[in-house]
Amino acid sequence: MALRLRLRDLCREIGFKEVTLSSNGEEAKVVLAMDEIHLILADWYTEPVSGLELLKVIRQNPKFQNTVFVMITAENTREKVIEALKAGVDDYLVKPITAAQLQSKVMAALMKRKVIG
Amino acid sequence: MTPDSGSKPTASDLQIQQFVDELSGFAASAQQTLGVIELDMEANKSKFEVFATMMLTIRGTSDQLGFQHVSQIARLGEEIAIKGVSAETRPQIRKCVGSLWDVITTVKHLIVHREGETGEEQKILINRLEYTLNAFGGARPTFDQDEISKLIEEQG
Repeated sequence: MALRLRLRDLCREIGFKEVTLSSNGEEAKVVLAMDEIHLILADWYTEPVSGLELLKVIRQNPKFQNTVFVMITAENTREKVIEALKAGVDDYLVKPITAAQLQSKVMAALMKRKVIG
Repeated sequence: MTPDSGSKPTASDLQIQQFVDELSGFAASAQQTLGVIELDMEANKSKFEVFATMMLTIRGTSDQLGFQHVSQIARLGEEIAIKGVSAETRPQIRKCVGSLWDVITTVKHLIVHREGETGEEQKILINRLEYTLNAFGGARPTFDQDEISKLIEEQG
């Protein structure tokens, strides 16, 4: 929870006006069904639906073709990182992360998917 | 990190305290999981995976907070727990359980005394855990952030 709050603050610091928090992939799916979401920052290990499972759901639904998905996690084993890349993650940040790093990666990913010009 | 006596805690102080409370909660859950494994080692060895995930969570939070000494021990605990999942003999499982009790006891101690230096006892523990992990074949290969960024770039 504390890290989510920190990420919310960081997102606001870098200019995002509307930030919604979800405690796991299941909650995030509910938010995604109701709102237009341009960027998802997810941890890998959440219960009952993990960040990776959420990523797979997002990438299978054309509605989210322009939604940027960034994994933020301590998980950096080669096997898991490659699994996330194959599933279509836009970027992958290993903790600890800084505000500058988050800003640079998120902006690059948003531009790549043409969410921002 | 800790506000001076009488001063109002900042948002950052509160977030750090919240992180530390979460760390303590995860450590308590990991301790419970280890207790379950110990009840029936062979039947419950799959629960080592749950323990490994908890250690990863502790490591991630500790890294974010700059508690490198907690992170280092949690990483070793995570890797030894992964070895426990596929351990084939009872002595191997017992070795993992023993090591992980040391890990969780130390992690809990370090969370409470988080501002202190790594003591001689912790250094000895780290050496022992590294020896155990190497005896099981060593840690899983990892990528650092630069390598991941390069892979992302290559992916296009």
